[in-house]
Amino acid sequence: MKEFHLEIVTPDGLAYEGMIESLLVNTSEGTVEFLAGHIDYVTALGIGKIRIRENGRDRFASVSGGFVTVSQSEVKLVAITFEFAENIDIDRAKLAKQRATDVIATSKDSKAVEIAKLKLQRALSRIKVYELK
Amino acid sequence: MAGMNDIKARIKSVESTMQITKAMELVATSKLRRAKETVERTRPFYQILGKAIDDIASISEEANSVWFDGSRSSKTLFIVFAGDRGLAGGYNSNIFKLAEKLSRGKEAIWLPIGKKALEYYKHRNYDIYSDIFANAADQSVGSILSLGKIVAEGFANDSYGEVVIVFTEFVSMMTQKAVYEKLLPLDVPKAAEQTEFLTDCDPNEIINQIVPEYVGGILYSALCESLASESGARRMAMNSANKNAEEIIGSLMLHYNRARQAAITQEITEIVSGAEAL
Repeated sequence: MKEFHLEIVTPDGLAYEGMIESLLVNTSEGTVEFLAGHIDYVTALGIGKIRIRENGRDRFASVSGGFVTVSQSEVKLVAITFEFAENIDIDRAKLAKQRATDVIATSKDSKAVEIAKLKLQRALSRIKVYELK
Repeated sequence: MAGMNDIKARIKSVESTMQITKAMELVATSKLRRAKETVERTRPFYQILGKAIDDIASISEEANSVWFDGSRSSKTLFIVFAGDRGLAGGYNSNIFKLAEKLSRGKEAIWLPIGKKALEYYKHRNYDIYSDIFANAADQSVGSILSLGKIVAEGFANDSYGEVVIVFTEFVSMMTQKAVYEKLLPLDVPKAAEQTEFLTDCDPNEIINQIVPEYVGGILYSALCESLASESGARRMAMNSANKNAEEIIGSLMLHYNRARQAAITQEITEIVSGAEAL
């Protein structure tokens, strides 16, 4: 398959760079797959999993926040957090899930609940991606 | 002879000062190494973010999104990154000087980051927007991103019509430069540079989601640059303090030895003249 260049950056640095065959992401409007030669495109990302296909092999990762831009067949993914399935700390994710569920169940502070809901979403996404490994 | 004890006491005091400055230099050096790595890691993020926001800006064709229009408020928010501590040479004062220069003739509100910055603006009774981010070294990616959200919301709610960040760029281990950057409003892309971007949903919705993250990302980069610069500046300042201390000790030693010699000579003269008198 034809390949294209993907760069993934987070505040912690360049998380991935390489030639890939396909990139699948979840946006607020649904799932979008990028293949080589995609038209110039931009979209915001939600919290969820992404799939990268390199050399016919699928790799999964969990992202939160950020956006994807395609410009002249260069794909750039800017994320707030990004972890490949093999790098996910599953114990930490499970702990975060537990803590967030507790806060949602007990807290009366609407702002704290809102933050906890986002944390829960991130934790669930990590757990889901981890299981795909 | 008079002065010998005084000189000795001075040498001791300079030596103990030197011990402190030496320790501080070592601490700054090890902090600097770590901070330098962080800066180098965040730089690609910063560069790609800057380029991506230009691309994204061009999707809102008529550019009537709130993020391009700074005319709804005459105020300017200055986000000033300084250190938590002093003794870093001109690090803090250079930043304040630049910020003062930029704010001249403007209706400024201030968001200090770093304890020294908070002290500076509080002392002068400036209009402070928020002081919850005053501890520069304690900030994490998460807290800076929420700051980005707050800053973007304030702009969207017309609390201010312009956002400028003032920070210290980490040029190298030896050089740090106070710089500024306009964060908001976003620049309207020139027609010639526009490329057609395809989107599935409302471009304004995408921009509204991305801008707070963009602001947070830029703030985080500025913070990393500033922290590295602070360690660099402190290391340089402490290094020259050590050199000065060594110089002072050297010249005091000379005085001390001279005084000692003079005392001995005088004693001998006294004994000899005493013996002659017998």
